[in-house]
Amino acid sequence: MDKKYWRSLDELHSTPEFEAVLHREFPAAASEYPEGVSRRRWMQIMGASVALAGVSGCRWEDEKISPSVSRPEGRIPGMPQKYATFMELGGLAESLLVTCYDGRPIKVEGNPDSPQSQGASSVFAQSETLSLYDPDRAVGVVERKGGTRYTRDWQAFLEYSDTVLGQARQDGGAKLRVLADVSSSAARKNLQEKFSALYPKSRWYDYTANSRDNVYAGAKAAFGEVVRPQLDLTKANVIVCLDEDLLSEHPAALLYTRQWADRRDPAAGPMNRLYAVESRFTTTGVASDHRLPIRSVDMGFYLSKLEAQIQARLSGKQPEAAGEDYADKVLVAMSEDLVANQGSGLIAIGASQPAELHARVFNLNELLGNVGESVRYTKEPLATDLSAVEALRELAGEMQAGSVETLVILGGNPAYNAPGDIDLVTALSKVPNAIHLGEYEDETSLLCKWHLPKTHPFEQWGDARSYDGTLCVAQPLIEPLHDGKSEVELLAILCGEKHPVALDLVKDAVKGSLDSMAVNASWRRVVHDGILKGSSLEAVSPKIKPLPPAKVVEAAGEDLELVFYISPQLYDGRFANSGWLQETPDNLTKVTWDNAAIIAPATAKDLGVKFGSVVKLILDGKSIELPVYVLPGQAPNSIAVALGYGRTAAGMVGGDVARDVKPVGENIAALQSKAAMNFAAGLKVEQTGKEYELAITQDHHSIDAVGAGEIKGRVGQLVREGDVSEYDANPDFAKERTHHPPLKSLWEELSYDGHAWGMSIDLTKCVGCNACSVACQAENNVPVVGREQVIKSREMHWLRVDRYFTGDDVDNPGVSIQPMFCQQCELAPCEQVCPVAATVHTDEGLNDMVYNRCVGTRYCANNCPYKVRRFNYFNFNKVYEDPNRKLQALVLNPEVTVRHRGVMEKCTYCVQRIKAVQIESKNEQRPIEDGEIVTACQQACPAKAIEFGDLTNKKSLVAQAHASPRSYAVLSELNIKPRTAYLARILNPHPSLAKPSSEGHGHGEQHAEADHEKQADKH
Amino acid sequence: MDRFLFPKWTNAIVPVLGALGAVGALYVLGMVAFAASPETTDVGYQPEQPLPFSHALHAGKLKLDCRYCHNTVEVAGHAAIPPTSTCLNCHSGAGADGVVNTVSIHSTSSKLAPIRESQATGKSMQWRRVHDLPDYVFFNHSAHVRRGVSCVSCHGRVDKMETVTQVKPLSMGWCLECHRNPEPSLRPPEFVTKLDWVADGDPHEVGEKVRKELNLNPSTNCSTCHR
Repeated sequence: MDKKYWRSLDELHSTPEFEAVLHREFPAAASEYPEGVSRRRWMQIMGASVALAGVSGCRWEDEKISPSVSRPEGRIPGMPQKYATFMELGGLAESLLVTCYDGRPIKVEGNPDSPQSQGASSVFAQSETLSLYDPDRAVGVVERKGGTRYTRDWQAFLEYSDTVLGQARQDGGAKLRVLADVSSSAARKNLQEKFSALYPKSRWYDYTANSRDNVYAGAKAAFGEVVRPQLDLTKANVIVCLDEDLLSEHPAALLYTRQWADRRDPAAGPMNRLYAVESRFTTTGVASDHRLPIRSVDMGFYLSKLEAQIQARLSGKQPEAAGEDYADKVLVAMSEDLVANQGSGLIAIGASQPAELHARVFNLNELLGNVGESVRYTKEPLATDLSAVEALRELAGEMQAGSVETLVILGGNPAYNAPGDIDLVTALSKVPNAIHLGEYEDETSLLCKWHLPKTHPFEQWGDARSYDGTLCVAQPLIEPLHDGKSEVELLAILCGEKHPVALDLVKDAVKGSLDSMAVNASWRRVVHDGILKGSSLEAVSPKIKPLPPAKVVEAAGEDLELVFYISPQLYDGRFANSGWLQETPDNLTKVTWDNAAIIAPATAKDLGVKFGSVVKLILDGKSIELPVYVLPGQAPNSIAVALGYGRTAAGMVGGDVARDVKPVGENIAALQSKAAMNFAAGLKVEQTGKEYELAITQDHHSIDAVGAGEIKGRVGQLVREGDVSEYDANPDFAKERTHHPPLKSLWEELSYDGHAWGMSIDLTKCVGCNACSVACQAENNVPVVGREQVIKSREMHWLRVDRYFTGDDVDNPGVSIQPMFCQQCELAPCEQVCPVAATVHTDEGLNDMVYNRCVGTRYCANNCPYKVRRFNYFNFNKVYEDPNRKLQALVLNPEVTVRHRGVMEKCTYCVQRIKAVQIESKNEQRPIEDGEIVTACQQACPAKAIEFGDLTNKKSLVAQAHASPRSYAVLSELNIKPRTAYLARILNPHPSLAKPSSEGHGHGEQHAEADHEKQADKH
Repeated sequence: MDRFLFPKWTNAIVPVLGALGAVGALYVLGMVAFAASPETTDVGYQPEQPLPFSHALHAGKLKLDCRYCHNTVEVAGHAAIPPTSTCLNCHSGAGADGVVNTVSIHSTSSKLAPIRESQATGKSMQWRRVHDLPDYVFFNHSAHVRRGVSCVSCHGRVDKMETVTQVKPLSMGWCLECHRNPEPSLRPPEFVTKLDWVADGDPHEVGEKVRKELNLNPSTNCSTCHR
């Protein structure tokens, strides 16, 4: 293999630390006692549990059956039902289908009817059930007076608000302000209008930490009006992303990933080509054919070079000769492609980049004829006169000046995520009547007089619009658990309604969009579907204004820059108390439970810092200390830090200083300022001499434990990739990447007459977004283990997403992503070593794990070549046994056993879903249709990279995928016959940038006779 | 000091201890094999219910079909215990206006008071579960009754029980007996709730016919019941 593969710099350079990891079967201390419990204490605990086990008697607890008094029509106890709803982030809705089991939501899936998500879902949506039952959610109305917290009820608040608002009504609300999280709800909009009519002198501010104000301002500069760009990636042969993560962080990422992936099948037609120019490594960068790491501050300079190239080419002139280095070559290739694909290419620029650059990109797309083809525009209903940060600044100014008496904060947590130069903490102390409606008693609540519990998205009626404008409607799936009220209900109360009915408010608000001849029928349809078909935003064709000649942008100096980004796990910090999301390894860094200063290897060398050193980041006199993560591919002189960490009042998971729970990570928002909301140059870095251990999963569950040299030769056989030219020349190239003698089995090979379940994963489409991993966790009751245990390699994820760096260039490597979970080997090595037959084979080819038989020898995990088995070192589900935590236990999927300490577990191909469909189809005496069984990971995947089904049905999608020339089995040379096939990753590089074909052999391997013949034929 | 020597008579203790040990081992074995087996612990389990509902009367004498009350049995995993409203179809008490429905049976019976109370308060009846499988077993009723396995196979002659009693061990070995040799327990699916049904002819042949018709291949894979 010519191409080099590696997972971490430690591995690439074979440091002693990595060698140590390799040579230990389980990482250090993997079988040691938990922290804070001595061996003696441990024996006592164990002794007590044995004694108690004897007392509890021969028969288990008497169970009660409580049937309904009157069973609702259509409700069948024990049968899951799905309801449509949505969740809103940054004012944009993601339509969802939520599975309810006897009235409790247990699993979130994307709504297949939604034109925006097409059935896929984000990690945030997947984790919503966990947050619904989070015991740290605010449980009732709270008043704070003189530093003391009093529990109140809604009646007390109503009396209070009557007095306060009564006064406000007299002066027209001159000292009344509202600060709201951005929303596209029509019901809220109606009430907002009613509110301003009632209090004409009041003011309303919208704030979000993830604003798209630069896009709005850019459109305003380019068109004179604010429009929303709607991309059609299926029409784009060439996609250029400038600091834009279209495939993960963009609000329409689910749709864009699906569209991008639709054009990534080399057998189905010409593939698209994706260029990513970015400062930090994003999902789009992973998926790209060419990636160029440059600082975010240099994007303007880069864009002017691109403009010059394109303009020269368009006017038929010879473009200015570019240099010989990689960046210039990419620039030439990119402009050549864009000009060659006029009308079928597109340029997208990230919302973090300034408005001026957006205007220029709008112009470029116009110039290239992409508008109307791959780029369309619709109205932008979310744009406000004030940008989010301006709104917050103005409000804070008013508060400081004492001109705000009553402040209503609807959702959001501005006291936590306000940029560092807006002192909202002091400002809030000057507001006598601050009222915060929030799901948690968070940093903002602690500074407000009143905290009101907000309903979870699954507890309320609501409406919102998705990115394309499709109207989404939410119905409550469960009664509010903690006496909460929605934003709409609270607003109605503030507008003087005593008992607002959210259903009517929402229905009235969306009535205008419904069929006016049959409002009720149409309403019921919308509630059922969750979306209103054909309600996307009106398209507009704005006229481009000639831009003033761009200032000649000079390359900025060699300063360090700091890039702030919304965390792909915790968003703006609102998901900080979700154990699932905290423990989801970041798709590039594989860090869990922390944020870090991500630094390029070259920059780290310049600064004299290394992995894990704690550095002090100083920007404009403010500083923060963070551990260093040296990430290959990070732009030199650019340091990226995720927002959303360092919560001090999130809860027992995300950090709660009052209860002595340390915050997770550091809050980088303190370094943000008006001039530096997204990135800023002028960063100073100081060493502190301290060290910090990050909880990183990257070297865990290493597939090979035989030495770094072996790995380098092997990884190229695990993740097989090639260029489209290689594929065209020899579609079977992936199969030929491994050589082995003819395979003969020591064991009796089984034949499968009935069903043979199998899976396929298309590595060309997978972008590593982690949705599958969180979906698996939600579906299969996979426990959260915490930071300490992750450091000891005890994370329990059944589905891990492996990330390999490729190539020799540490500063700009490629990245290969490979989701890895139980491959359900037909000749499974785990089964051969289990002394108690706790893992056995079914006649449909599943590798069953029988928890009750397992005695925890862990031989199976030793013998598993894929390292996909997970051992319960502790009773990680113990929390559910606590009588005070019964609410939390509701999140568990009742169709899947909750595992106890001491047993092994692993992916089952969602056997509970297979069985449910099997039983139903047999009840109806019909065959199972292809695509009827959908595993949790497959369901969540935005790229449709995963197929599942019956391999004996040759027409099934999965059988076709297995038959594809790109299909290969990982470690096929072991002859264990895995049921999961991977489809080799095909890249589509620009011919001038394509690396020499990497067709080659594994080194030092024995070639099979047959293999040689084949080679001979070819030569 | 002289060395301490055990007196001679202690020699007799050794065989006694040995015998006791052997008896003890046998006792433990016996306890495990018989006393702790589901045959002993579970068969005959007859908890007292909140009201003395008689299956012998309803299912036996009145010949109500099992599915009148347990109406989800053919589509769902659970054979749901009926809601209060099902009882009230026949046993409704006086309405809000004090008038008793003319077709109501035993509308003032004190034994039925809990049902009327449940209706009035909106609180569920608290029935006690008789046939209770462990939580790691995923049994599905529809998968059995739709395939011609009668209620009687697992629950016995409920139509003759005043108080429902568990009559089968419901242990894994007992389940597997039938999964390995299903024919004796199969009948045409239309007769599954006819508890006194007897095969017309050789039961094994009848079962084999049903098995062939419905293409039944009961699985003995672990994941069939444990997930």
